[in-house]
Amino acid sequence: MPQKKISIRIDGELISALEGQTILQAAKANGKYIPTLCDLDGLTSVGACRICLVEVSGSERLFPACTTPIQEGMSVTTNSPKLTRYRRISVELLLIERNHVCAVCVSNGHCELQTMASALGIGTVGLAYNFPKLSIDMSHPRFVLDHNRCILCTRCVRVCAELEGAHMWELTSRGIHARIVSEMNEQWGKATSCTSCGKCVHACPTGALAEKGWAVEEMVKKIDAVTSLVHRRGAQV
Amino acid sequence: MPTPSLGSIPTDEQVFIDKLIAIRRGRPGALLGVLEATQERNRYKYLPLETLRYVAAKMEMPLARIYSVATFYALFNLQPQGENTICICRGTACHTRGSRNLLQGARLELGLGLDGGESDGNEADKLLLTTADQQFTVRTVACFGQCAMAPVVEVNHRICGHATERTLQREIETIRAGE
Repeated sequence: MPQKKISIRIDGELISALEGQTILQAAKANGKYIPTLCDLDGLTSVGACRICLVEVSGSERLFPACTTPIQEGMSVTTNSPKLTRYRRISVELLLIERNHVCAVCVSNGHCELQTMASALGIGTVGLAYNFPKLSIDMSHPRFVLDHNRCILCTRCVRVCAELEGAHMWELTSRGIHARIVSEMNEQWGKATSCTSCGKCVHACPTGALAEKGWAVEEMVKKIDAVTSLVHRRGAQV
Repeated sequence: MPTPSLGSIPTDEQVFIDKLIAIRRGRPGALLGVLEATQERNRYKYLPLETLRYVAAKMEMPLARIYSVATFYALFNLQPQGENTICICRGTACHTRGSRNLLQGARLELGLGLDGGESDGNEADKLLLTTADQQFTVRTVACFGQCAMAPVVEVNHRICGHATERTLQREIETIRAGE
């Protein structure tokens, strides 16, 4: 059955999109940019990062574009001083939550968090840093997990479960204690369900998951390799 | 999919879990019911990792998923619990009515010391301490929803409102005397 077409406005421009699409999908299909850190083409949307918040006229609330389905006659604003303010707060909160030290990071210069922070004009963070004491898992022969750089976007969890089908990653605990965990809190290198495919590494927006053997600034993620895989397989999510 | 390490948990427990899964199969949220009943059956009211592995294998779920669920909910324990549980509310209402003193009083009374947990500055942390003889577990909770009776303490699933250090001490004495 062909999907119903409906019309919405994004930043004043009338576009037609398919019913059931989210605001973000409709925007992407029409070449409109909405910033996001946790969304990845072909994976389910979880609304984890809150960067894609948009204004919908008629409501005071802000809506995450990645999880809000479009409705006929909806009018969406993707950029405004208010949105920039909220996005900036979201990124600042991500920055204080862990120990993001760009100068010594393998992903320096190729990091989505860093790029987002600079695009939003964050030079300094006005909030107190948490400085949590976090571990680094070096047990895998090819990859490394550094909790200090993780933003809990759960791209690795979803790419492993939905694309690779291994479902080795998950989130454990809640709130400030939440961590990415492999199997039952075992070392990554000991996880039997890991296929060492590296999809999680290349889906990771920061340096939290990286290949071993790279120095500062050398880890370049092949995110297109992950998303193109979805399209080649024709996966519908 | 991990192979079930059969034989790593007692046969009667295996039978019990198999039945639970059979009853709930196909229902959304089946895992929660299975884990809750399994924990309740355990002598020390906790879910050993081997049990979680068995449940994962039988329910054909990834290990990570089971571990994630078991650590998300405060209800599930991954550590053995004492025979008696003293749960002290550290919500805002109870805090302002002196629940920190209750917690410290209980810890000293049971010989658990004051190191670790809240004294490290992690005020909101979930605290869980068990005495060496496995008789008492002291834990904290964010709110019981009984703020009118603050400070609230739960002793073996019985709510005690307007608790004081003296009444808490008496509760512990009663339990000890009843052993």
